[in-house]
Amino acid sequence: MNELELKSIWSAYDKKLERSLKLNLKIFEDMQTGKAKSKLDALLSIKVGGVAIGVLWMAFLGFLVYVVNFKNLWFSGSVVMIMIFTLVAMINYIQHIILINKIDYTKNITGTQTKLAELQVSTIHTTAFAWLQLPFYTTFFWNNNWIMEGDKGFWFIAVPITVIFIIITIWLYKSITPENLHKTWVRKLMMVGMEYKYALSASELLQEITEFKKDEV
Amino acid sequence: MSPINTKAHFLQLIEQNKGIIYKVARSYGKNDEDREDLFQEIIIQLWGAFDRYNEQYKLSTWMYRIALNVAISFYRKERRRIESESPLTESMAEIADESRDSELESNINLLQQFINELKELDKALMILYLESQSYKEIAEILGITETNVATKISRIKDRLKQKFSNIKA
Repeated sequence: MNELELKSIWSAYDKKLERSLKLNLKIFEDMQTGKAKSKLDALLSIKVGGVAIGVLWMAFLGFLVYVVNFKNLWFSGSVVMIMIFTLVAMINYIQHIILINKIDYTKNITGTQTKLAELQVSTIHTTAFAWLQLPFYTTFFWNNNWIMEGDKGFWFIAVPITVIFIIITIWLYKSITPENLHKTWVRKLMMVGMEYKYALSASELLQEITEFKKDEV
Repeated sequence: MSPINTKAHFLQLIEQNKGIIYKVARSYGKNDEDREDLFQEIIIQLWGAFDRYNEQYKLSTWMYRIALNVAISFYRKERRRIESESPLTESMAEIADESRDSELESNINLLQQFINELKELDKALMILYLESQSYKEIAEILGITETNVATKISRIKDRLKQKFSNIKA
């Protein structure tokens, strides 16, 4: 089969489409009434929603530290650590929002896809990072008296629980990677939604783009 | 241009070039529902970018950039767990045509099937090549050099020819 034959098959396909394809313009009517939203807009809404929840969560934690139990260093220290993790995740999400707004589908494909795939990979890393705050949920009720008095309940129950959480957290952090996202349990942990659905093959696409551009002379 | 005229103009351009959108949707969508979603998503993005379209550039180049970017962004396959493709003949049923049993029909299906099996970027490259875009235009759309375009097309074409001849043999 030569080049001409290939193109003539494709051209026949074109003619066939011209005859038989009817353009369904309902989507266009929906666009006019604001019903139709692009996937990129939906992704943007998720990120904006994430930042809004982060702000509320930070305000709530700040309120807890300031009003409820400011003097207990374990309590306020744990809550402040959780706030720091939340803040970092929020900063990442704000960076994602900026990046999504910069994505322009009219630009070349390898450039646009690299940006989008990096955004999706960053979403996974942000989630993995957020899990690192988990052990601090097991330390906020500690107090110095338990340590000074050698409380058995503290040393044999509270501390081992925290140690277990630290081990689980580190394992989760190392496991939640773009490469492992095809595993069902990882996806369940990440509460797979639209945000992650499209991140699934992001690292593969980045690899493909690198290979695609490699042959350049 | 008034909004009504803009809409009419846009619809006219879409109607004239619907084959571009359909072929991209057909090549990247996993099933009929996916293809329909992709078709709609492409039209939404085309409309969103329409006020920035500069008519001194080729419309097809602009459309291909948007259509392929949308397709690769949200409709790419997961290579690790590729789902079994529905038989192409079955999914082509949406297009009624009297020549369904002809050799040409079978060749179109085969070609479409081969394209569907390619990696995302190779698929984009092959669609553009078959659409008779120049190497320069393909390079601009994809963001790679013309030399790279030529090398890759030659490689994919060889694979394609090989597959065609294996089946025909």
